[in-house]
Amino acid sequence: MEILQQLWQIICTLINESGLSKLSWENYVMVLISFALMYLAIKKQFEPLLLLPIAFGMCLVNLYPSIMGMPETQMLTEAQLLEKGVDPASYTTTVLNGQTYYNYTQNGGLFYYLYQGVKLGIYPPLIFLGIGCMTDFGPLIANPKSFILGAAAQIGIFLTFIIATALGIFTAKEAGSIAIIGGADGPTAIFVTTLLAPHLLGPIAVAAYSYMALVPIIQPPIMRLLTTKKERSVVMGQLRPVSKLERVLFPIIVVVIVAILLPDAAPLVGMLMLGNLFRESGVVERISKTAQNELMNIITIFLGVTVGATASGQVFLSWQTLGIIGLGLFAFCLATACGVLFGKIMYKATGGKVNPLIGSAGVSAVPMAARISQKVGQEENPGNFLLMHAMGPNVAGVIGSAVAAGVLLSVLKV
Amino acid sequence: MDNMMQAFILLLAGFVVVFVVLILLIIIVTLYGKIITSIQNKGKKKKTKTEVSPRIAPAAAVVNETEKAQIDDDGGINDEIIAVIAAAVDAVYGEKPHRIKGIKKSRSARSAWSRAGVLDNTRPF
Repeated sequence: MEILQQLWQIICTLINESGLSKLSWENYVMVLISFALMYLAIKKQFEPLLLLPIAFGMCLVNLYPSIMGMPETQMLTEAQLLEKGVDPASYTTTVLNGQTYYNYTQNGGLFYYLYQGVKLGIYPPLIFLGIGCMTDFGPLIANPKSFILGAAAQIGIFLTFIIATALGIFTAKEAGSIAIIGGADGPTAIFVTTLLAPHLLGPIAVAAYSYMALVPIIQPPIMRLLTTKKERSVVMGQLRPVSKLERVLFPIIVVVIVAILLPDAAPLVGMLMLGNLFRESGVVERISKTAQNELMNIITIFLGVTVGATASGQVFLSWQTLGIIGLGLFAFCLATACGVLFGKIMYKATGGKVNPLIGSAGVSAVPMAARISQKVGQEENPGNFLLMHAMGPNVAGVIGSAVAAGVLLSVLKV
Repeated sequence: MDNMMQAFILLLAGFVVVFVVLILLIIIVTLYGKIITSIQNKGKKKKTKTEVSPRIAPAAAVVNETEKAQIDDDGGINDEIIAVIAAAVDAVYGEKPHRIKGIKKSRSARSAWSRAGVLDNTRPF
């Protein structure tokens, strides 16, 4: 009989320790959402490299919240420590009211430690290093006017900031973090959010990467709506060849200017340009390969799972998240529209030499946004190749969104 | 109301700073592009064609002969490379009579579609 009672007690303890008794309905809903994201990543291949680790991190943290648990220190008496079967000699002591307490520390969860790279703003600049190694700034150097389109697309960020503030449900810092989704740049959005509104990191990162994945669906209707058939059919002249010296000097010049004028953008732009210098100098091929392959992949895994792990049910399932998702979409559409409208201005200013469709590539979803310009352009004229022309505003958008992030940080990070 | 004022100020500051920084970059990139292009155009005028005389001799002799070949001023093909290329040609043609008329660098730039393929790897970022 006693054996049965003990067995029952063990079963009860196991049930109490299991997720069945500890998890709330929000956690289960989040697990279902993570399954939906996994489906989108695997079946539909929407940004799978990031969406899959994000979705899995989301799933894991909602099943086992302690994986993101912070390290804890308890003050225990010697008797309590001995009860736990640990040696008091290995702990530091604190004397309080004449009583000696031992500082019994417990380690945090695995994701807590990996998350420090996000929290301290380490991963996004490292991702930018890899992106710099992969990016060819040639089209931008050949046609520097593309910078204007990269800047125009950032207007969406600031307009969204106004609207998010006007709604009254977000603080200025939160509004800034939401607005940066319009930059269509995941690492920049994460970098800004960790510094301004870390508690919103989960919803903002998920919204940013989701919209980047949905570029082919969101952008074309806006592009078609704002341009005429004649404008979309413009065939642009060939870009001039860019010499190696120009390519090597470009990252150095950009980093000097941006870091002097906007020090807050220096970590992102600095690492982006360092990566590009690795690539263009041609003398550190090994480092360049590591930065764009192994390092980038490792950081992507850590970034993905830990960002996903910030989306616990209690935080994610709120009206604020719905607001973020809505405003993020608005920011993204506005950025696309501003880019296209500036493209139209350039079309008029150059007497019809610039195809306004390349303006939408000013949002920095590289190179998907440029591909969309190419695709929509080819629908009108199958012989029109806009891809390289669109790559100019596209990479300018990466620099532009980092500059916009610098502005938001310098004004709001007080 | 204060919040809205702050938001409007940030909106204006954002517009101005982003555009000023990027316009500054346009000016600098355009200027240095022009300077470098003009310097390189001057260099091209001095450029002379590299030619290697007819060859049937063994590869070792090719090295000595091509060392005397003219070299570009602006870092064109140097003796060593010419020797290597001549030796490679000699190894392929062997005893057959052959002549290297000139050595030109093939275009290293990728085509737009090839670049699109490379850029495919950057897609998730």
